[in-house]
Amino acid sequence: MPSISINIILAFTAALLGMLMFRSHMMSSLLCLEGMMLSMFILSTLIILNMQFTTSFIMPILLLVFAACEAAIGLALLVTVSNIYGLDHIQNLNLLQC
Amino acid sequence: MKLPILTIVMTTIFTGTMLTMISSHWLLIWIGLEINMLSIIPILTKNQKPRSTEAATKYFLTQATASMLLMFTIVFNAMHSGQWTTTNIDPNNMIVSLTMIIALTMKLGMTPFHFWVPEVTQGVSLMTGMLLLTWQKLAPISIMMQMFTSINSIILLLIALMSVLVGGWGGLNQTQLRKILAYSSIAHMGWMMAILTFCPSLTMLNLLIYLMLTIIMFTMLNMNTNTTTLTLSNLWNKSPTITMMILISLLSLGGLPPLTGFLPKWVIIQELTKNNNIAMATVMAIMALLNLYFYMRLIYSTSLTLFPTPNNIKMKWQFQPKKRSLFLSPLIILSTLTLPLSPVFSTLN
Repeated sequence: MPSISINIILAFTAALLGMLMFRSHMMSSLLCLEGMMLSMFILSTLIILNMQFTTSFIMPILLLVFAACEAAIGLALLVTVSNIYGLDHIQNLNLLQC
Repeated sequence: MKLPILTIVMTTIFTGTMLTMISSHWLLIWIGLEINMLSIIPILTKNQKPRSTEAATKYFLTQATASMLLMFTIVFNAMHSGQWTTTNIDPNNMIVSLTMIIALTMKLGMTPFHFWVPEVTQGVSLMTGMLLLTWQKLAPISIMMQMFTSINSIILLLIALMSVLVGGWGGLNQTQLRKILAYSSIAHMGWMMAILTFCPSLTMLNLLIYLMLTIIMFTMLNMNTNTTTLTLSNLWNKSPTITMMILISLLSLGGLPPLTGFLPKWVIIQELTKNNNIAMATVMAIMALLNLYFYMRLIYSTSLTLFPTPNNIKMKWQFQPKKRSLFLSPLIILSTLTLPLSPVFSTLN
């Protein structure tokens, strides 16, 4: 595997770990979601350009579109949580525990 | 929610799942899953309460992570095999098979990624919870059924076994009915995935019977808006018919023999035994007893005994039911009385 792919996969893994282990703010997990999307965008663009996959050129852009929609919904949920609790701390979301 | 908006959102949910189910290109599958997830968030936050927001947030964060993991697997697979079709995933590539299973089981709510299922089901209304536990399972299961030959059987069996265990033990301490149905969903997903790498048509059979039973349970609970065991124990006074139907539906969900719910468990155990997986079949069958125990507890307080009430509740004015119950009678008959039709399955494959 060329080393640039390994680097970008490492970037994805770092963003994934950041998403899975969050300390207090929900905003950081949304940022890590965007980080995952960005690393996937770069990786897929590199692969498609290297393999000359001409028909798949649209794929990173579609990825970008849907990840942007996801980010918008994430932000809307963040705003709703902030409206209710005043902050976006994760420990505020404890109403539903068993 | 206003009717045009509800129609648009429901159509989008339907379109997302259909798009996933009919495609063979990984990008379209991912897009279908994304559309599905994005359009169910407004449904989850339909009644504006803090619990719904919390449920929607937890749902969104988990499913978004799973989507991104799935996209990573898709791009990684394209890097190594040069193509984007579902049926040609290389099973020898460890990273691809592992992350694929992790992404899809996160979408389905199987152990060890099951923690969001009870909380999200609890935070939304009964009908929305039904949508969550029934329709949302269709798209990931259709993906897994398309690529079942390339799934690492050991990992999937391990995840299925853990799901059955967690589904059984987790539901024991619950009195909230939505959480009980959520843990039931986790356990049934475990049963479905255990047989996937051996015979996917049995996964389909189990899915169909599970969908019918879950729809029945949620519809009956919605008739009097029963959300706890306590309110369910007053059901003998309001609608004795529903009390009886809950009895047989729960027994069918638990897998007791003369009812249809026994059929998937029976053929799954038979198929596992044919493939020399006797230990797995035994453990799963024993763990299904835990599920049966908490259904029996519900039945005990609902149908088999009269809960002690003050005398003025016993003389209740019987109103006509106002809530619609779509297809309740055919579904109940289909999901409890069709065990004698099981020889039909010898005609398949």
